[in-house]
Amino acid sequence: MSQIEFSNVTKEYIPGIKVLENVSFSVNNEEFVFIVGPSGAGKSTIVCLLIGEEKPTEGDIKFNGESVLEIPREEMSSLRRKIGVVFQDYKLLDSKTVYDNVAVALEVVDSEKEEMNNIIPNILSLVGLSKQKDSYPRQLSGGEKQRAAIARALAHEPDVLVADEATGMIDPDSTDGVVEILEKINSLGTTVIMCTHDERIVNKLKKRVIRIEKGKIISDKEGGKYRG
Amino acid sequence: MARIFKVWGNLKKYLEKEKLMSISNFLVMGITFLLLGLFIDTIVLSQTALRYLEDQAQITIFFKDSYTEDQILALKKNIEDDSRIASVTYVSKEEALRIFKEINKDEPVLLESISSSILPASLEIKAKNISNLDSLANEYKAKDGVEEVRFYKDVVQRFASVSRGVYIVGFVLVVIFFIISYSVIISALRTSINSRGKELEIMKLVGASDSYIKGPFIYEGVFFSIISSIAAAIMILLLGVGMDKLGIFSKGFSVGFIPGFFINPIIFSIVLAFVLILSGFILGYFGSSAAVKKYLKY
Repeated sequence: MSQIEFSNVTKEYIPGIKVLENVSFSVNNEEFVFIVGPSGAGKSTIVCLLIGEEKPTEGDIKFNGESVLEIPREEMSSLRRKIGVVFQDYKLLDSKTVYDNVAVALEVVDSEKEEMNNIIPNILSLVGLSKQKDSYPRQLSGGEKQRAAIARALAHEPDVLVADEATGMIDPDSTDGVVEILEKINSLGTTVIMCTHDERIVNKLKKRVIRIEKGKIISDKEGGKYRG
Repeated sequence: MARIFKVWGNLKKYLEKEKLMSISNFLVMGITFLLLGLFIDTIVLSQTALRYLEDQAQITIFFKDSYTEDQILALKKNIEDDSRIASVTYVSKEEALRIFKEINKDEPVLLESISSSILPASLEIKAKNISNLDSLANEYKAKDGVEEVRFYKDVVQRFASVSRGVYIVGFVLVVIFFIISYSVIISALRTSINSRGKELEIMKLVGASDSYIKGPFIYEGVFFSIISSIAAAIMILLLGVGMDKLGIFSKGFSVGFIPGFFINPIIFSIVLAFVLILSGFILGYFGSSAAVKKYLKY
């Protein structure tokens, strides 16, 4: 059974204008998949549909065999704890330190202080931010901010980590650092889906590449190359 | 209990961090509640004034000279037993003369030619509800010994319709003002919530439940509106005490459309203050729920 399954998914934000058209693909447990394509191709819509932020106009999306469309509203939050997401703009709280930004994810499930003190240092160590735990986002580089966002996404030990243009705002060196962390996370057993249009990292990692253009899947190849 | 401390801690942090926004929220909501209270007060005062004027409306029954004082007093007793009647006053021929003299004291020539025998005895009747005056007047016309029944039908009818109009318009205006207050409070809370839109977005992203996201904002909304409405309620209470001390309306305030029902200004102000605080809770709860709703849209 696939961990994620998109079956003939079509999405229209405005009736008649298809952002995604008849998209079908599946992702297995512990896979590392790139979803590539130019801006506006529909990559972020796939992410929004996967975490239940949007509903498809047609088709079905399954996560761990369960239709995302059938998940009751009150259980949607638990889906989001199984799918960690990081975005291009980091979405960090400027008034909180790196440690507290990660803690936000645990606070929402009323975790005890002691539990947080066990989990957070480990995650920060995994993403290489142990020394910056008391720094505020404004004191961090772009790469460090993205690593802090990854740390927060990992707080619930998700089954899947989705990086939506996560390297879009950082320099090549920092990009390599972030991708290295994503690979490390994947090697520890978490499925990673990376939406990007950065051909350099796609071609470097030689992972499965799903290419999407104008809302349609153009190709889906293992070890595929990408020319943006 | 731990949750309450946590909520209070977060609220305190917010108040310290967003002083200007908090003060502006308190002011906007406080003024809105005060205006709502004053508006209700104004409606009730205008109704009370009308009710006092209505009370002056009366029917006067003039009797034939052949109708004796005993017969008139017997009729008076019958009329007093009528549940529609508020009061009946007997004006004898002598009393009528005294009143006439008092009114015309500057007309000595006129007074010389007048004696009590030519002035009729009368009964002055006030009804509990002025809309009954017309039918009562018709009933009395048919009674034995009645010379004439007089009441200012046009004036009374106009009073009745103005009073009804003030009541209906007042009620509609209070409802409209309540809706305006609701919008003002939603706007104030939404401004405060929008300033933390990113925080809400992140909470949702990391798997916070709807109730976890909504909770603090609802507590905050209720806190702001309760404190503001309490401040407004205190002002309204002081106004009520002032009204009572001034004693403008001796019988008290007329509330609603119940003829003859009057309430002490202080008691009325306590009820109004309670209504304002309750409105504060309701508007704060529903206002913040409505304001936070857009962030919970899936």
